[in-house]
Amino acid sequence: MRAKLFLLVAAAVGAAAAATWLAAHAGADRPTEPGAYLTLLVGVSLIGSGLASWQARPDNRLGPVMVLTGFAWFAGLLSEATSAPLYTVGVAVEYVFVVGFIYVVLSFPSGQLRDTLDRTIVAVAVAALGLQVVAMLFGSGSGLRCGGGCGDNLIQLFHDNGLALTLLNVERLIAAVLTLTAVVMLTARWLNASAAQRRELTWVLLAGNAMLLALAVTVVDDLVGNPLKSTPAKVWFFTLALVPIAIVATFVRRRLARGSVAGLVVQLGGPTEPADLRAALARALGDPTLDLAYWFPAEARYVTGDGRPVEVPGADSGRRSTFVERDRTPIAMLLHDPALEHNSGLVQSVCAAAGLALENERLQAELRARLVELNASRGRLVEATDAERRRIERNLHDGTQQRLVSIAMSLGLLESRLAPGQSDAAPIVREARTALTLALEELRELTQGIHPTLLVERGLPVALEELCRRAGLPAHLKVDLDVRLPDQVETAAYYFVSEALSNAVKHSHGNEVRVNVGYDGATLTVEIADDGIGGAAIGGGGGWAGSGSGLRGLADRVEALGGQFTVSSPPGRGTRLKAEIPCA
Amino acid sequence: MRVAVGDDAVILREGLARLLQEAGFEVVGVAADAEELLELVDRSEPDVAIVDIRMPPTHTDEGLRAAKAIREAHPAIGILVLSQHVHARYAIELLSSGTDGVGYLLKERVADLEELSASVRRVGQGGSVLDPAVVSQLVGRRRQADNPLEHLTDREREVLALMAEGRSNKAIAERLFVSEHTVEKHIKNIFGTLQLPQTPDDHRRVLAVVTYLDSE
Repeated sequence: MRAKLFLLVAAAVGAAAAATWLAAHAGADRPTEPGAYLTLLVGVSLIGSGLASWQARPDNRLGPVMVLTGFAWFAGLLSEATSAPLYTVGVAVEYVFVVGFIYVVLSFPSGQLRDTLDRTIVAVAVAALGLQVVAMLFGSGSGLRCGGGCGDNLIQLFHDNGLALTLLNVERLIAAVLTLTAVVMLTARWLNASAAQRRELTWVLLAGNAMLLALAVTVVDDLVGNPLKSTPAKVWFFTLALVPIAIVATFVRRRLARGSVAGLVVQLGGPTEPADLRAALARALGDPTLDLAYWFPAEARYVTGDGRPVEVPGADSGRRSTFVERDRTPIAMLLHDPALEHNSGLVQSVCAAAGLALENERLQAELRARLVELNASRGRLVEATDAERRRIERNLHDGTQQRLVSIAMSLGLLESRLAPGQSDAAPIVREARTALTLALEELRELTQGIHPTLLVERGLPVALEELCRRAGLPAHLKVDLDVRLPDQVETAAYYFVSEALSNAVKHSHGNEVRVNVGYDGATLTVEIADDGIGGAAIGGGGGWAGSGSGLRGLADRVEALGGQFTVSSPPGRGTRLKAEIPCA
Repeated sequence: MRVAVGDDAVILREGLARLLQEAGFEVVGVAADAEELLELVDRSEPDVAIVDIRMPPTHTDEGLRAAKAIREAHPAIGILVLSQHVHARYAIELLSSGTDGVGYLLKERVADLEELSASVRRVGQGGSVLDPAVVSQLVGRRRQADNPLEHLTDREREVLALMAEGRSNKAIAERLFVSEHTVEKHIKNIFGTLQLPQTPDDHRRVLAVVTYLDSE
């Protein structure tokens, strides 16, 4: 590679020297030629940036094409030579570099022509070059070009300067149409590009369009007999130099972007939040649409930072993914704009710099994903429990309770039919009826505890009112809620108050309880405060010894719905339990 | 007295019909749900309709809604709602619906034939009936030490509870083995302590007491 590079550079230096010499010694009667400085500038910038691009990305065709275009540019200068063989070759390849430029501008930054229109433009341009050679079969050395000082055309077979000039005019016409088509297409492409793509394209597009427009003006000017003299050609040569400069500038800009990776490393050294990491990477990559997803090995898929599953984007989704690995284990996936594909160096260095932070974030995302799963299963458990409770209550109500009531009725009937003479049987029947009444009472308490029918029928405020009415302590209820909430929320709030009330009665040694319920449209807040001895903890403690499991159960129910449960119970200053339940 | 019965459980409505007949009531018909009961009531215009609170289709408070419908169509018909749960709220709703002749009883109370016939009669005559379990929930509710209810004597609280159940002075006197005059004196004290306006009407009295108990 080094030897190849050395040879190429040597050849370029030789070609540049020769072409520059030729340009410098061109006859003063041919003022439309580029002149020494522009010759050198265009050729060197093409070959230089081509070599740089080739080195950086050997798989991208852009580099070699630019180098070839540079050599073609120098070769075209042979048309300035007076030696007949050199002059003949020079005229034949005079405009080969234009095809190179068109290819470069159309294929930037991938080096690949994108669609049929691209390929057609290049193919027609090549065909137009053929016309030049055909014209050479008819025209003489000086007939083809300037008025004088030219070499001889060695491949002239026929003598028809008129036809030769007509063919050259056809070539010019084709060139004008092609360049204008390319300008329109490039502009449309730029307008449809994403922000990240535009960053890549803008400079090359501006330079390329300027070059193509200048070329179009030049050939049209030639067609109509050079009314503008040498000006269009001068402008065109100048814009030719702009294209490689724009390409080099774009590459430098990429390098600079890679420099921002250093800033990224410094930034990620400190503690980061998930959002910070995304923003930092988006900044470093210049893609505001960047998204991050993390590998979740348990389910062999990618999840977002907060644990929700993410699909890998398909080829036609308009998004691209870059996978980040450490020790051949997937860590994360960057979802980004397709434009970043042409800047894989930057993406790779950003990924490398952010590797540790991403791994860290991945572990957290995994944890959150597990939490999401855990919460879902907890919710399902609570739901299943509630359904089961409802079923049991219903069965007791429709079965056992009714049968017991019917027995009580029969006993009542029996009691009334006992003949006065059998009065010693009456007390026994009465006894049985009393026992039955007690059994029914107990059953009623039980079913009410299993599933609060009033809650389902009348909603939370009424059910809580009933709870407070039955509480073993004076209970002051304040409910600010005038809508029905999802079943599981109401049920959770109900059991929360029920359990908290009985805890307060059993353990707080307080004189009263306050129950406050509020709803802000998104979250239901339930607060129960007593004026007792305090010292309660979720794990149990103080005078609340043994009540720990009760509080734990409360916390479980609330947290299963994604809610928050807090206990504030300073010794001697009462206990305040608070549940905040989201009602999504 | 003519009675209609609505209950979705066949053993209960048949049992209830049998008990009512035993107690000397004429059962004009039985119904398995609220709709059927409304038809029955429309057709036979009984003095009292006895209705289970929880019936098809939703098995929630159909009985209460049926009671309301009967109320609107036939204001003179007494309504006794039966429930397997002690839901003070439903009882109070029923009593505060503004008209006379309503009752709320736990189902098993009907097994006491005397109580059953007394309740049906009272509702049929425009009085009120509130289940003792509901009343004891209201009266027995824990209150702040400075609440006026806490200043009542035990006897007065007993009288208050019997009053809330819808019993007349005479019935209260019989229950407590005291003279009606003594009961009247207790009642005067109670109303004074609770600062309730005296009212001669039994139903209004029940409502006043229950509303007071519920609000405190």
